[in-house]
Amino acid sequence: MPLSPSLRRGIRDSILIFLAIGAFGVAFGVLAVDAGFSVWLALLASVVIVSGAAQFTMIGLLASGTAPVLLAATGLGLRHLPMSATLARLIGPQPLRTRLRLAFILVDETFGLTVHAAATGVDDLVAYKTGADLTLYSGWVTGTAVGAWFGEAVDPAAVGLGAFFGLMFLGLAAPLVRRRRDWVVALVAVAATLAAVAWLPAAWRLTSAAAVAALIGAFLHE
Amino acid sequence: MSDLALIGSVAVITFATRVAFLVRPRSSPEGLIGRFLDVFPLALFVAIAANSLIAPSGSPEVTPGLAAALGGIVGGVLFRRALWAVLAVGAVAFYAARAWSG
Repeated sequence: MPLSPSLRRGIRDSILIFLAIGAFGVAFGVLAVDAGFSVWLALLASVVIVSGAAQFTMIGLLASGTAPVLLAATGLGLRHLPMSATLARLIGPQPLRTRLRLAFILVDETFGLTVHAAATGVDDLVAYKTGADLTLYSGWVTGTAVGAWFGEAVDPAAVGLGAFFGLMFLGLAAPLVRRRRDWVVALVAVAATLAAVAWLPAAWRLTSAAAVAALIGAFLHE
Repeated sequence: MSDLALIGSVAVITFATRVAFLVRPRSSPEGLIGRFLDVFPLALFVAIAANSLIAPSGSPEVTPGLAAALGGIVGGVLFRRALWAVLAVGAVAFYAARAWSG
């Protein structure tokens, strides 16, 4: 069965990110095993959670106990609420099975690609996101497996992948800046992030900064 | 709580937040909430970029990441906000700054 053009484009657009996601998966696998997880538990975490932020935080707070981990996971997850509302608006009415599937891999990267695709006129956003989801999910899980089994031999941080991720989101934001209001939102987001870095726990920074900037943007009328 | 139960709990929390507005079709929010959702993706992407590039170690600092951010902005402006241009020019700026700073 031939793949739809939108699905193929979703796969194509996410190839570069696949490499970065895979490298981060390697880093997670290394850290998870180092923190005391078995190889299979590390792999299971990537298969069922599918969230780099939540999983790295879980590993980082493992020694602090259960409550901090669950609280941090909740704080990190809050940003998914407006993301899921935005995605629901973009895809329109869809069967429940489709919506559950799209929600399962509603990560920053595939959300960003889908918003970018909507802004650039991709016809079938469900197929597009499915292509991106499959690509990035396979990269995340495969990377975790490699890191968990062979982790000590690789060092993803050495090539500056953190900067690549930042650049990727800068690139995803670029086409969304169309009006003066959008510039204000972007500048407020930077300022709010720097303020959040100084004053808030890591789990709450991005959600808080984005919410403040979006709220100010919502009050600004063009 | 065992490690297995902890992983399961984090998975449930994460999926619950992801599926919240997708679990059943609703009409598109309008008014303030609609405008909030219009700009939230932009705000989130910029926040993630700023967090990764300007404050990667948890505190604001001048790093090659800042050079990457400036390079990415220049690339976006020069090449009509194309994703590849932001990545390419930003990456060149990042590695140049890292090499220069030793």
